[in-house]
Amino acid sequence: MPREIITLQVGQCGNQIGMEFWKQLCLEHGISKDGILEDFATQGGDRKDVFFYQADDQHYIPRALLIDLEPRVINGIQNSEYRNLYNHENIFVSDHGGGAGNNWASGYDQGKGVEEAIMDMIDREADGSDSLEGFVLCHSIAGGTGSGMGSYLLETLNDRYSKKLVQTYSVFPNQMETSDVVVQPYNSLLTLKRLTLNADCVVVLDNTALNRIAVERLHLTNPTFAQTNSLVSTVMSASTTTLRYPGYMNNDLVGLLASLIPTPRCHFLMTGYTPLTVERQANVIRKTTVLDVMRRLLQTKNIMVSSYARTKEASQAKYISILNIIQGEVDPTQVHESLQRIRERKLVNFIEWGPASIQVALSRKSPYVQTAHRVSGLMLASHTSIRHLFSKCLSQYSLLRKKQAFLDNYRKFPMFAENDLSEFDESRDILESLVDEYKACESPDYIKWGMEDPDHILTGEGSAAGTVDPKLAV
Amino acid sequence: MEVNNINSPSTPRWNSERPFLTGRFHQETKTMSRFAADSHSLGFGNAVGCYNAAVQELVVIDDLLSAMVGIQGRYISIKRVRGREDDFTFQVDASMDLTLQELAKRVFPLCESFMLINQFVESRSQFKNGLVNHAFAAALRALLLDYQAMVAQLEHQFRLGRLSLQGLWYYCQPMMGSMQALSTVIQKASVNNFVGSAVLNLVQSQAKAMAGDTAVRSLLEKMAECASNAYLGILERWVYEGVIDDPYGEFFIAENKFLQKESLTQDYDAKYWRQRYSLKDGIPSFLANTSGTILITGKYLNVMRECGHHVQVPVSENSKLMSFGSNHRYIECIKSAYDFASSELLNLMKEKYDLMGKLRSIKHYLLLDQGDFLVHFMDIARDELMKKLDDISVEKLQSLLDLALRSTAAAADPCHEDLTCCVETSSLLRRLGTFKDSEKNRNVLDDNDLEEPLSLTGLETFSLNYKVRWPLSIVISKKALTKYQLIFSLPFHCKHVERQLCGAWQVHQFVALNMRGTAISRSSLLCRSMLKFINSLLHYLTFEVLEPNWHVMHNRLQTAKSIDEVIQHHDFFLDKCLRGCLLLLPGFLKKMERLKSLCLQYASATQWLIMMLFSNLRGSLMQSFGAWHQYLSSSSQAETVFDSSCTGILGIGNDQ
Repeated sequence: MPREIITLQVGQCGNQIGMEFWKQLCLEHGISKDGILEDFATQGGDRKDVFFYQADDQHYIPRALLIDLEPRVINGIQNSEYRNLYNHENIFVSDHGGGAGNNWASGYDQGKGVEEAIMDMIDREADGSDSLEGFVLCHSIAGGTGSGMGSYLLETLNDRYSKKLVQTYSVFPNQMETSDVVVQPYNSLLTLKRLTLNADCVVVLDNTALNRIAVERLHLTNPTFAQTNSLVSTVMSASTTTLRYPGYMNNDLVGLLASLIPTPRCHFLMTGYTPLTVERQANVIRKTTVLDVMRRLLQTKNIMVSSYARTKEASQAKYISILNIIQGEVDPTQVHESLQRIRERKLVNFIEWGPASIQVALSRKSPYVQTAHRVSGLMLASHTSIRHLFSKCLSQYSLLRKKQAFLDNYRKFPMFAENDLSEFDESRDILESLVDEYKACESPDYIKWGMEDPDHILTGEGSAAGTVDPKLAV
Repeated sequence: MEVNNINSPSTPRWNSERPFLTGRFHQETKTMSRFAADSHSLGFGNAVGCYNAAVQELVVIDDLLSAMVGIQGRYISIKRVRGREDDFTFQVDASMDLTLQELAKRVFPLCESFMLINQFVESRSQFKNGLVNHAFAAALRALLLDYQAMVAQLEHQFRLGRLSLQGLWYYCQPMMGSMQALSTVIQKASVNNFVGSAVLNLVQSQAKAMAGDTAVRSLLEKMAECASNAYLGILERWVYEGVIDDPYGEFFIAENKFLQKESLTQDYDAKYWRQRYSLKDGIPSFLANTSGTILITGKYLNVMRECGHHVQVPVSENSKLMSFGSNHRYIECIKSAYDFASSELLNLMKEKYDLMGKLRSIKHYLLLDQGDFLVHFMDIARDELMKKLDDISVEKLQSLLDLALRSTAAAADPCHEDLTCCVETSSLLRRLGTFKDSEKNRNVLDDNDLEEPLSLTGLETFSLNYKVRWPLSIVISKKALTKYQLIFSLPFHCKHVERQLCGAWQVHQFVALNMRGTAISRSSLLCRSMLKFINSLLHYLTFEVLEPNWHVMHNRLQTAKSIDEVIQHHDFFLDKCLRGCLLLLPGFLKKMERLKSLCLQYASATQWLIMMLFSNLRGSLMQSFGAWHQYLSSSSQAETVFDSSCTGILGIGNDQ
């Protein structure tokens, strides 16, 4: 079975969105809660083997690892109706079950401790696939397990499976409400360093924006986690449709990502989805056409990343690349027309230093999931305004760091022992240079960017070389 | 029209040798008796003039009655030009009373007509003259029987002494016109030796020409109807069963048995569908307007018969092709038979032979609509495809293809086993050259234009083949398949380029650390441009050419009424795709090829260089960097060329 993808769900949030994702996949492929193919779903034409494999009794098992340091969420999954879906060997809960206490350092350190056990599981899954294409990591960047242990896993994967792609679905914390995790900025910063250096693609799922969308677009007064998670699972499943329902293009992960990601480090993607519905909610059903969907995907209010840019900055923000995955009963003749209309009205502001245009992938829709709308669309885009999200992280970090607040929790762990906080500084530098790079993308002569100050060549290299060298020597 | 080529049984000799069978004995015995009369051996040696008028009248009536059935009398003789059967004159003894002579002469045309018709009947009844002539002769014979019965009745009256010469003339008059008209018709027919539809046309046109004379007109129309009966029988079998039951070659549809249906899948220029059955000359005028429909109806029925699917147009009482009368019911019958045949054939193709499914399956593979199998195939067959043309083992490719098909979504497609692979011997450009050559006989490009690149590998020449079986080969003929293959080659190669660039992209991903300002970051931008180009190209080919056109064709096929319409839409689709994929513009293709080869060069160089860079990080770092910079400075030039040409190509592509 070619081009398999292994999913790693780490931490509370990672497991929650992961579970929603698998629920959605099961629905779309007509797989029952126990992994058995439903009678109505035998006609095929889809690719289940990218995300599932079949046991000896033909029932489908997700290529998923469920990893957490505390048992609550995973127990919940094991007691849910989907308990028989997962391979029980692939569930890892740490023995003490105490979690990471929302501390990145704790998660990272514990990750190191259980590396062997987890890598055994990953190796087993990888051996079980014919030509593994890559890994997908679901986690949040703010907590302890998902961020800390997730970071550790990212580094290890990069080390062990250097030729495989690593894509993450990273949930960014909600900035609108005061979080119970006060050290959120620290965790985020440290995780973002790994996301920048050790992942090939990061799909940013901003809880702030998800909440906003739930409130504004779905008219929910107090959106629950389950509701925002269903948005996430919609995005995750839609972004994998071209892999699961093969079409003309983008049938492998590398093809999908390569066209979206311009330079190795600018690999943070925003998403947008329309039309959105939440379960058990009677929405007003709209008429959907290709043009309609494409146009709506470009509206900021549908984007699942909040924009912290000021107006002036926002006007300068540019799209680096866009892929619209359009699902449903599409009249393909409309695609060209719609693209032309969008071009004529200059609805998209593209970068000036290279060719850019909206790419469209038409994809089939699962025949087993009934939706009210005929056409739906997902946008995956690389947009320079995402730097404001990072800037926000940076400024929050700086505030906290200036006060030297809560650093004691980190000093307990080897990485920060003896008051060695260089890891924070380094992470900040990397994030700052990422922000700079995105900013440079907005200017027409990005190509020349960096040429004038060659010192920069050395800044990253010195520190990162240690992680890069061995993996490339393979 | 000649019928020599048809093997009709010859008329047995005894038929023509025995005058008593043909009715010629009358004349022959009379000739003999005339010799006898000349030698005065008969009792009536006296000239008629020596009797008084009353006796003369009786004698003339007696003689006339004989002459009316073609027998020479004592004083009425038949003078014939020697050797010519149909050239004769009646003569009356000159010594006869003048009034009687004049009256008798008035009846002569009737006698002549009878003899002509009688002769015509005899000669046309022979096998070689064909069914139409037979039918016509039979109808005439029936008419002659009536005529003879009338003569017999007249004779009876004569014997009873109730018939005067005036009376005879009176009774003869009504028939004169009809017999005359008939005799002109048959004279024309026999002079031109008409057979088949020509006879029908003649009789009908004569009937039309006689519009003023109702009696004659209706007679001729009746004759035409009788004569066409046999013809309509042939027509009926053709239109209702698709069988040509035409022993004398009279029908206007010819079958070319040398064109085999197998040629459709083998021969690029197969003429089977267009020329297996064709229209000949000599279409009966009343069928001239519907001849096309008739041809197609039978053709469709034949296809179904060839499929072993026995169909019979449902025939009810009133759908019998009995006449071609002016009410045009026969046209309606033909029309309904056509509707039946075409819808039945279309159903057969769509339901039993699953035409749409086959087309869809071809689209999955040859138009790359289901790309996952190709991704997998390229993964496993990469090494084989990289080989030089002569070293490629097609068997190995085939087994790899089967493997790829089995392990991807294609496995669910029941048609996937019909897919085979093949390796062409020349590049796409060269193949297009020959293709266009055969298509339009257009002047090909100069030969040096089409210089084969020396390093032609399987990647440039790999192609898929699809087994199409009768009767689907009517639609998906060898020619159509060739077009599919030509279309396949372009996106296939683009996919290859895309994969290589993706490889290069992935190599860049390894160096995710800050490489700002180095050659690598520039290289990654170039890589992005190339990916963008190849993706845009693929996007254009698939989502702006193939998919919309397919969609249009699909909708049209749903509403198509006949298989010919299906063929037409399908061909139109293919031609449109060929044009859309810029395959008919060699200039563009060549530019595109150049860009693609640039991409490939870049991709392989980059992968190699970056790998080198990091594997010998300490040793040859500086060296590699040097080479790298050198390469990039040359490629930055390429970059600008590249950008402008891709925008050019895509711009034109979009205008199409």
